[in-house]
Amino acid sequence: MDAALRLGAADEAIAVLRETTPFGDASEALLARIAGIARRARYAAGARIYSADDAADDIFVVLSGRAEHVFKPEVGAREALRRVTRGGVFGWAGLLLGQTQRLATVTAIEPTEVLRIDTEALVGLLESEPLEGGHVMERFASMIQREFTLPALLAQVRRLSGPLTEEMSSLSLTLYRLSLWLRSPRPYLMLVGFALFLGFWYLAVEVWKLPRFREMPGLTNVVREWLSPSPTYGLSLYIAEYYQHIAMSVWRVAQGFFLATVLGVPVGLLLGWSRSFKEYVFPVFETLRPIPILAWVPLAIVMFIATESAVVYLAFLASFFATALNTMLGVESIDESYVRAANCLGADRWQVFRHVIIPGALPFIFTGLQISIGVSWFSLVAAEMVSGQYGLGYVIWTSYVMVRYPTIVIGMVTLGIVGYVTSALVRIAGDYLMEWRVRELALAER
Amino acid sequence: MTRGHIVIEDVVKVYDPQGAAVMAVDHCTLAIEPGEICMIVGPSGCGKTTLLNAVAGFHEITSGRIIMDGEVLCSPEKPRSTPGPDRIVVFQNGALFPWKTNLDNVIFGPVMQGKLARKEAIDKGRAMLADAGLSGVEHNYPGEVSSGMRRRVEIVRALMNDPKALLLDEPYRALDSLTKSVMHEALLEIYYKNKVTIFFITHDLEEAIFLGHRVAIMTTRPCKPKKILNVDIPHPRDYSALTSKRFRELIEETNDAVHEEAWKAFQAGEKEG
Ligand SMILES: Nc1ncnc2c1ncn2[C@@H]1O[C@H](COP(=O)(O)OP(=O)(O)O)[C@@H](O)[C@H]1O
Ligand SMILES: [Mg+2]
Repeated sequence: MDAALRLGAADEAIAVLRETTPFGDASEALLARIAGIARRARYAAGARIYSADDAADDIFVVLSGRAEHVFKPEVGAREALRRVTRGGVFGWAGLLLGQTQRLATVTAIEPTEVLRIDTEALVGLLESEPLEGGHVMERFASMIQREFTLPALLAQVRRLSGPLTEEMSSLSLTLYRLSLWLRSPRPYLMLVGFALFLGFWYLAVEVWKLPRFREMPGLTNVVREWLSPSPTYGLSLYIAEYYQHIAMSVWRVAQGFFLATVLGVPVGLLLGWSRSFKEYVFPVFETLRPIPILAWVPLAIVMFIATESAVVYLAFLASFFATALNTMLGVESIDESYVRAANCLGADRWQVFRHVIIPGALPFIFTGLQISIGVSWFSLVAAEMVSGQYGLGYVIWTSYVMVRYPTIVIGMVTLGIVGYVTSALVRIAGDYLMEWRVRELALAER
Repeated sequence: MTRGHIVIEDVVKVYDPQGAAVMAVDHCTLAIEPGEICMIVGPSGCGKTTLLNAVAGFHEITSGRIIMDGEVLCSPEKPRSTPGPDRIVVFQNGALFPWKTNLDNVIFGPVMQGKLARKEAIDKGRAMLADAGLSGVEHNYPGEVSSGMRRRVEIVRALMNDPKALLLDEPYRALDSLTKSVMHEALLEIYYKNKVTIFFITHDLEEAIFLGHRVAIMTTRPCKPKKILNVDIPHPRDYSALTSKRFRELIEETNDAVHEEAWKAFQAGEKEG
């Protein structure tokens, strides 16, 4: 009855696979490979295709005809009987966790033609494409629940294993999410938002010449200056000095942020973990924290004779508080049950700290670090405006003093971009360290 | 079988927030036989969790003693027992570490205690997960699998330590009734293989009678046994027991007692801690 697929027949197989729920949005390449392992079979009207409790070997995709799919009663499907026609997929029991036998009996009620795909071969194939393969498995799970009305508890599909998936890094997950993002409307809405903003800027300053906007540097002006090999006011993408300013600011933020992290995280962990430490330190902490960073500038200059360290110190200070505070909140947010469970399982105090407190606080720590990198830029620019040479804050301030208005905007936009990149780096580092969270959130979005 | 004999003797627990004493457990005496499934039923807020936490060692008792296999866990001299892998709690809301994969959760106990090297623990953990039909989720994080599966993984995590007793605090409370029924059979299956003492708290009388050898019906707060029921339906049981005549009779026999306490609790406006 079976016949290997010949050329031409493969196209037909791909066409029908595309009509199915699980393979509906798979790539051409994957469909071709699946078609490559599919075999064609024909059943006469009334023929039994398989019976409940048979070994669950092949998966069936209906090409033409009609079959009746009847679950055995123990399965607890909401609808035991289902008619399957072209594009219908059955015989997927082998994909379920811990399931090796057929859950249903299937009978052809018309002359029926199907594709048969060996379950293990299919799983092997999906494992070689872990991202797409995982997606296909998820679609199988939702088809089994929605179309075949199987209870959620039973409709758990196997997890693709194999070296690739086990090592499937957060990086590939991030890339996968990126590709999903690009396929969604969000990036295009974002572009529209930017276009509106830039359009308003252009019209308000250069076309309508609205009061108050008239004196602002215009969009075309700024862009021309920024892209000019010989800029009027001396700073553009072609000038080495531009990059020296960026490098200087980044280097200062990096030092401040690094210090704030290596000091802030342990202090925060201790604050959350040790009641007596908190009683000593927290009141002081809470008194100093609300002081705006600008108020520290004079003292910082007095404290550090070298302006360079004063600037770094200011970048450090605000982010230190943000990091320590969020880390403390992170520790305090950890559900008591986790600590109790670890105690039951025989962990000592240090092991609880290492295996429960630190990982449990990590989501809050990274929220803190995101805030911290932002305030670090904020205080850096403030500090650079007051003292120091080089740096983006310095550029903005001196351009104001020397009436180079387009350069002010170049400095501001550059700050925006560099600031965004650094905070994205922090987020990526967080995703990398908290794969469990990335996956949980990815599931929640579905 | 002589492991997991827990004797609760005259235990009193008074919470004392700002001097306003709340008596949660009142001279409670109860013996849990080795290897039995002892179910504790009582209305919400009656003090069941308080009693279980005293056995587990999560807080002190005010007076009385708790003894396990001849070892005094807590007494007036040492009011708080030390939590340890001989009595493992399965929590109401689940306490698998979400940042560890299911397999890493399962091997946590033996590795922390230094009883097994990581590699041996992994072999044992894999085997135990496979035994419970959970092989497919080894490398998943708990947040990625269904809540019913999480509960099973959590029980496997406990059994990895070869405990004398499992202390379950309404573990299936948040599950839908279908999942719950599957979980009951899964728990019994695990129990028939491992034969640990099970101390199981619930407010669901049917659950209690279906699972338990004995059911202790507790009074509303302060909590102590009001009535102890021997469930003479033979083990091993499966879901057909639920529709048996004897099961219905036992429910009828005890329903009044449970309902009366629930009504008292309702009138007193009890809520959980
Ligand atoms: N830490 C606590 N401090 C004060 N009262 C508490 C505390 N924990 C629980 N209680 C009180 O003790 C009583 C019993 O609570 P609990 O043991 O959680 O009940 P159950 O588990 O039976 O629902 C309740 O009235 C609750 O308000
Ligand atoms: Mg409770």
